[in-house]
Amino acid sequence: MARRLTSLSGRLVLIVLLIHAVLLPALFAVMSEVVRRNMVDAFIDDARMQGRLLADNLELDANDSAQELEQHLDSAVLGGRIVYAAIIRGDTQIHSSLMSDEDLKHFDEDYEFGDHDDDTYYLSMPIVSAGGMANLQLGFDETAAKTHFEDLQRSFVVVISVYLLVTVVAAVFLSSSVIRPIRWLQNASRAVASGEYDKKIETDSRLAEINALTEDLELMRGNLVKVNTRLRHAQRLESLGTLAGGVAHEFNNVLQPMLLYTDLALEDLPGDSPIAANMRRVLELAHRAKGLSQQILTFGRLGEEGQLQVLRLEQIVEEAITMIRALLPATVDIRISLEANTGYVRCDPGQIHQLVINLCNNAYQALETGAGHIAIALYRESVGQELASRHPHLDAADYVVLEVADTGHGMDRETLERIYEPFFTTQDVGEGTGLGLSVVHGIVRRHDGEIMLTSEPGEGTKFRIYLPRVDAAGQDEYTER
Amino acid sequence: MSKVLIIDDEKDVRIVLKEVLQRAGYEAAVAADAREGLEKLEADGADLVITDVIMPGMDGVATVEKIRESYPGMPIIVISGGGNVAPMEYEPGAISTNAYLASATKAGADRTLTKPFERQELVKAVRDLLGD
Repeated sequence: MARRLTSLSGRLVLIVLLIHAVLLPALFAVMSEVVRRNMVDAFIDDARMQGRLLADNLELDANDSAQELEQHLDSAVLGGRIVYAAIIRGDTQIHSSLMSDEDLKHFDEDYEFGDHDDDTYYLSMPIVSAGGMANLQLGFDETAAKTHFEDLQRSFVVVISVYLLVTVVAAVFLSSSVIRPIRWLQNASRAVASGEYDKKIETDSRLAEINALTEDLELMRGNLVKVNTRLRHAQRLESLGTLAGGVAHEFNNVLQPMLLYTDLALEDLPGDSPIAANMRRVLELAHRAKGLSQQILTFGRLGEEGQLQVLRLEQIVEEAITMIRALLPATVDIRISLEANTGYVRCDPGQIHQLVINLCNNAYQALETGAGHIAIALYRESVGQELASRHPHLDAADYVVLEVADTGHGMDRETLERIYEPFFTTQDVGEGTGLGLSVVHGIVRRHDGEIMLTSEPGEGTKFRIYLPRVDAAGQDEYTER
Repeated sequence: MSKVLIIDDEKDVRIVLKEVLQRAGYEAAVAADAREGLEKLEADGADLVITDVIMPGMDGVATVEKIRESYPGMPIIVISGGGNVAPMEYEPGAISTNAYLASATKAGADRTLTKPFERQELVKAVRDLLGD
């Protein structure tokens, strides 16, 4: 074979043919042999019985004349099956008149059916009679039995050929019924490989294995879609950060002289001057602009970043909660559940404060007119391989999770998609900067963490911030440096 | 009276920094780019140099390296607007000005300040370096 047989249908047919090439001749041989033996046994039994009967008949009339015996033999030959009939008594031989002398020379006693290749089964029977011993010699025609056997063999061959044909057709049909869905799945997975993620992978196959494979592929596609969406989302945020960082750079270069000129002008003015009052407003606004610029830089991870320290997170979160209580109205229901000994994380405490405050602020704004509550939780979690595979920034490792949940209005899909984009806000113009969650995103990225967000319109929103847990031993190492 | 040389391609930054320093009791000179700055340093001398980092021609990092060659003990403050700048050759992303400031520190700058900074921050940095 010039080419290796690699297709499933080709292999299946080849295997079927190879198996049958061995099995069928063997089966044929065994069947033939069994049938032949049965036939031969029946033939011989029959011949002997017929011979015995004839001999017994002749026995009764032992004193019959040669002519009478000859008639007996003739009637036996006339039966059709016996082609040779003779009686040997002493030196005399009496034979059927229906046989030629030529025929008589052929007697050659057989031990087996088909012996001597003469198409005749010869046997001799002793006849015990009052007139002494005699021998009856008979020849039975083998051809009818042989023809019958050959006919049977031919039927076997026909039956076996039909069987083989049916088997090959079944193999082709079976393989094509397997191959069709496989081809289909192949095309579907190729489509996914080339970036068409949106089409659901499904088959109308009734094969359980194919269905299981389809489900696995669909699961894989689903995960790919999720990872791809997250990746695209992350890239989008990164490019937004880059763009915003470029704008901020120019902005900061303009803001610098604005701040200083105003400062100098104020120095030249008497404190009670109405111009000074206006200039103070300008300075205040310039500082606000500076704050915005810094938030943009935090989002893009371009701000001035302090050293990360290995610290217990619960302590920092507790401090942040104290600040939150001061910032939010006292009527807001804040429920706190901080697990003890959640361990150490490598973090910038100032940024963690900012993160908690921004998340709580976001939660507070989601609460409709003070109804509902905000829940802050801190706990440890071991992230498994499965979860890690779906989140580009998570590893299968131990994390400390900060959870901020509200029972507010929740968010729709479109809002969720854009939630971390700078200046994206659902607040009325002037109420929010749209930077709070962008800052959260930048801080989490800086801490090698991951944000998971679940939200249902009307039911509330839950942010989970995963920060990698480090050994307390790392703390010593860290402070030494 | 100690003399401070200010190198920045942004005219308003040069002017306002000069005035801030003059009011703080320093003599101040300005230059619009690194080449001019190095010439003035050569010609008139200075006790401290403040240089921007993102400038056309020679950037602040190279300027620091150049000054360090001839004036090993010269106090240098490097300033930059926070954010990032696109690299000269097209590359995805951009270089953060923090990275530039870090390079300047490596090249020998004594202090870095990110714009916009407050008046007092600059004056304090200058005083610290000049030991006033």
